[in-house]
Amino acid sequence: MSATTYRAGAFLEAAHRLGLAVTVGTDRPQALGEQNPAGHLTLDFGDPRAATGEIVAFAARRPLRTLVAADDDGVELAARAAEALGLAHHPPAAVRAARDKLATRRAFAAAGLPVPWFEPVRLYEDPAPIAARLRYPCILKPLALAASRGVMRADDPPGFIAAFGRLRALLARADARPERGAPVTEALVEGYLPGAEVALEGLVTGGRLRTLAVFDKPDPLDGPFFEETLYVTPSRLPETAQRAVVAATQAGVAALGLSHGPVHAELRVDQGQVWVLEIAPRSIGGLCSRALRFGADVSLEELILRHGLGQEIGNVERETAASGVMMIPIPARGRLDHVAGLDRARAVPGVTEVRITIPLGQPIEPLPEGARYLGFIFARGSCPAEAENALREAHRNLSFAIQSIGN
Amino acid sequence: MITVTSAARTKIVELLAQQGRAGLMLRAAVAGRGPGGFQYRLGFVGDEERRADDQATDAGGFTLLVDADSVPNLDGASIDYVDGPQGSGFKIDNPNPLWRDEAARAVQAVLDQDINPAVAAHGGWVTLLEVKDNVAYIQLGGGCQGCGMVDVTLKQGIEVRIREAVPAIREIIDSTDHAGGKNPYYQPAKGGRSPF
Repeated sequence: MSATTYRAGAFLEAAHRLGLAVTVGTDRPQALGEQNPAGHLTLDFGDPRAATGEIVAFAARRPLRTLVAADDDGVELAARAAEALGLAHHPPAAVRAARDKLATRRAFAAAGLPVPWFEPVRLYEDPAPIAARLRYPCILKPLALAASRGVMRADDPPGFIAAFGRLRALLARADARPERGAPVTEALVEGYLPGAEVALEGLVTGGRLRTLAVFDKPDPLDGPFFEETLYVTPSRLPETAQRAVVAATQAGVAALGLSHGPVHAELRVDQGQVWVLEIAPRSIGGLCSRALRFGADVSLEELILRHGLGQEIGNVERETAASGVMMIPIPARGRLDHVAGLDRARAVPGVTEVRITIPLGQPIEPLPEGARYLGFIFARGSCPAEAENALREAHRNLSFAIQSIGN
Repeated sequence: MITVTSAARTKIVELLAQQGRAGLMLRAAVAGRGPGGFQYRLGFVGDEERRADDQATDAGGFTLLVDADSVPNLDGASIDYVDGPQGSGFKIDNPNPLWRDEAARAVQAVLDQDINPAVAAHGGWVTLLEVKDNVAYIQLGGGCQGCGMVDVTLKQGIEVRIREAVPAIREIIDSTDHAGGKNPYYQPAKGGRSPF
């Protein structure tokens, strides 16, 4: 896992509940790494060959039963190391393809899945000739960043040229560059797809998808940016549409060659047509997994660990209650000075938790450049609408004082 | 029984003579335990804040109140006032051990010798709040408060070392308000950049 992951607590808690000994591999040194060498491994994510070698050497001293990437940043390394150790995992080539939006489009197109028109663009080129030949509206997106970061809609050539410059500047930033080497200079442009957006959380075994949850994203995602806010499950799509979502995800899993491990898919549904936008070879990001409980209070991370260990997870189903999460959007660039209304938000019926994850005094930045969430609101209800309304009501009760800072 | 040095007495009487403090008493209490030992609270209070179980003594020119809960941990301590090139202020010399409970002393030793020197490299510290029914209640501060890797520090480091050194401890509970962290060492972000 990356040292900046949101996911450490959930996976460690799950391991604790399952009584598993864990070694945490991170890209930055941990404060107590030397106090418990069996529990920590500092890895250079920018040097996958060396990092894989370190994991293999570690496993020779302390055998590992499974490797699980907590988030995006560690998943390619986990795949390589798992392959070297002969452990079940999505293969490295499939993971690489799933993490690269251009490679994903090509894999889907080659497999006959519906895809929008798409083409790679080089960000060091003059955008004007590119803008002149595109069809509109279109979407410009980076190849690798997560959670809609850098994804922009353009409705005409001037809009595309502006988005192009903005994405080029974003990808040159230290927090968006690869660990080593030059900034990414390629991006993807593709046709805009209308319709509702849904997400699917699943586990893949031997290439076969098991759906754990389908989330609606009830806030319209029409652009110009694509900030993910609300996730509510179960989906309110008709059964037939949900079956089509599962079938499309299964086809996408096969097209990418994903074979063993968690997947988080994002899809668009429009007039009976399902488009797979992407399938991340990891579980849902941020703290969103807290919205999912299975069987007798089992977490998503417990299921993932048990699956990684080859244990039968049986007929575990998501709880019957509706559940949702809001990733609290960052409304403006500046410094977070104050958060008001937390008690009122927490008191909204159905709301189970409100957590602000950015400390006061810290600089914040909205999409498309921003890489953080203000926090998370969780709610449950007897039906999806009830959970969604609770999330919206809680958010209405919150106010954020953001002090403007210079450019 | 707490003693007050003549330097401290002179300063306290001087402060009490300032406008609006006539008739006030000095309250002393142990506020908690930190990386450097006991943490104290000293303050002037009026008669309405005097409690029946306070230990009250005439300190010569003013009344000294000690919280009932703090009496055992302040017995034999002395309050001094120092004024020198390093600054000025009240100083409390306290001969009492930080913990009387054996398990708490052992946990404190792990924090002092093992944990805190290491987390200090990340600007953090860990404080033992209490040990009750073989459960250690701790609080994390500085770079550890709100850190994105705090669960790794806690579960892979602090818990492991405390359990190894003090097997009687059956649970370690983190009582930190992590949302209140001002300068966490690692801060979570969405990620997704290509590492290769």
